[in-house]
Amino acid sequence: MSVLSDLALGFGVALTLQNIAYCFAGVLLGTLVGVLPGIGPVTTVAMLLPISFTLPPVSALILLAGIYYGAQYGGSTTAILVNIPGEASSVVTTIDGHQMALQGRAGPALGIAAIGSFFAGCAATLAIALAAPPLAAIALQFGPAEYFSLMVCGLIAAVVLARGSVVKAVGMVILGLLLGLAGTDVNSGIRRFDFGFQGLADGIEFVALSMAIYGIAEVAHNLEQKSESTVVTSTIGRVWPTAADIRYCLPAILRGTTLGSLLGVLPGGGALIAAFGAYTLEKRVAKPPRSFGHGDIRGVAAPESANNAGAQTSFIPMLTLGLPSNPTMAMMIGAMMIHGIAPGPRVMTDRPDLFWGVVASMWIGNLMLVVLNLPLVGIWVRFLRIPYRLLFPSIIVFCCIGTYTINSNVFDVFVMAFFAIFGYLCLKLDCEPAPLILGFVLGPMMEENLRRALLISRGDLSVFVSEPISLAFLIAAALLLIVVAAPAIRSTREEALRE
Amino acid sequence: MNIRAPKDFWSGIMFIAFAAVAILTARGYSLGSAGRMGPGYFPMLLGGALGVLGLILVARSLVIQGETIGRLLLLPLLVIALGVCLFGLAIERLGLLIAVIIATGVTAFASRDSRPLEVAALALVLAIFSVAVFVLALRLPLPLWPAI
Repeated sequence: MSVLSDLALGFGVALTLQNIAYCFAGVLLGTLVGVLPGIGPVTTVAMLLPISFTLPPVSALILLAGIYYGAQYGGSTTAILVNIPGEASSVVTTIDGHQMALQGRAGPALGIAAIGSFFAGCAATLAIALAAPPLAAIALQFGPAEYFSLMVCGLIAAVVLARGSVVKAVGMVILGLLLGLAGTDVNSGIRRFDFGFQGLADGIEFVALSMAIYGIAEVAHNLEQKSESTVVTSTIGRVWPTAADIRYCLPAILRGTTLGSLLGVLPGGGALIAAFGAYTLEKRVAKPPRSFGHGDIRGVAAPESANNAGAQTSFIPMLTLGLPSNPTMAMMIGAMMIHGIAPGPRVMTDRPDLFWGVVASMWIGNLMLVVLNLPLVGIWVRFLRIPYRLLFPSIIVFCCIGTYTINSNVFDVFVMAFFAIFGYLCLKLDCEPAPLILGFVLGPMMEENLRRALLISRGDLSVFVSEPISLAFLIAAALLLIVVAAPAIRSTREEALRE
Repeated sequence: MNIRAPKDFWSGIMFIAFAAVAILTARGYSLGSAGRMGPGYFPMLLGGALGVLGLILVARSLVIQGETIGRLLLLPLLVIALGVCLFGLAIERLGLLIAVIIATGVTAFASRDSRPLEVAALALVLAIFSVAVFVLALRLPLPLWPAI
């Protein structure tokens, strides 16, 4: 059982005092941003990238990972108590969770959300430990043609799962790829798209771009919403669900975990899609279905299990293929590159301590989250009283400091201001930013693999269809596009993705 | 001709504009051939594809009815962008403490709910917090005081 010895190595790394502390800091911060609406894990991870710069790589990844799955726990708290999803992935939790709170069952709703999340977190950690090594072994065989096709497939999948128009989403991917090409070309040494700015010699700073879009443009967008005072509707009461509740929810938790784990692995997937998918599935298969929407506890258990499972399994493509399945994972790849680690199948063989340490820390982090969330829920709710007018200048100041410290370069701050305006216009035009961010991260890698594949084949484009694995990826990509263009499926997709 | 789907129309225009910049700039880089891609090859490919998508969006927006663009509130956005730029101008000359106070003071007025006294207090708290966390605790290389 090599998995066991690998996990033992991981726990050895994760259980050092230092890494336990960073894991705790991560889940604590994650819960906090999960509770606060208007600030999400992407922004937080971006703001903390400069701090993680000063840490050893393992501790940095443990901290950042904790923020992502911690936010899934925190998001459910506000969804249930005040009908405001702290995170997008908790939107469906509001449906039944808030109804339960109105009926005076806020406690059990919070409890089952935490228990479901904990179960899902443990199961997903195990799934990563079991699925990642074989995947990485396969990926090690990939040549440039396979990699290129895999990236095409991944980007198309991200498009399919984005909301709104497919044409716009494809356009955003391509725009992202183009933005990613700015800076010095590694092969020719030519500076591309620098427009005469010295500051663009190393390209557009990823942190500046992502904070501009997920931090600042979001803030400008949020300021247009009417400010409303939040009222906590009910007392929380007993948190632990009854044994009957747990027995009633067990199938929902199992289904949510399984579906969430699967959807998390998909490019473009992750916590958000997992939660929506699980709720829809539960409504179809659970019996009796009538009570959904009227405070059915299974309507909390299923999506909360699923979003946590999805948040964790989305690490699988990132850690084994170097492929980000969502913007937070793109941020993780950025963090690894800052530390000089090239994400991809080699991470597991070259840095087993890093890989297994992060996986083991997820399990520890999930345990901490249950302890943090259940008894301390009252404290978290207080944070909701912080008015947005105090919150948003703080977000912007931290974005400024974060962007500046990445390279100690003022130019990056101006880049951030520019893309903030761009990001706001995109939000207004319903152009989803997530495909842009994924394209941005993959741009240079895609060009490099295309160049190498064609160099080996002497310019023969058929190399992408003559290699069976590459062909399979391209067929999958084509199928995805056809599926999403088909009108019947399109309408259900819109229904499933509607907020 | 009427624009029936303003959101799609302007998205298309945006894509076309970016594509034009990409293609015009990439003309200066050598293309190479498929077997020996030059630095201009991939950008040209992407620029072309983006331009085509933009044209599709524009054409479609003239035929198919679509959503209108919501109200654009540019003032808060520009106030925030100004605050960010001022931070950039101040950080190396005036140091973190003053840069944070300026950035907070300016950006806070992007919201109509902000109250002057509260903003002053917030600016002070944020400045002290930033110095304590980023400079004293994390030892990030940030200039603290004005450069003389």
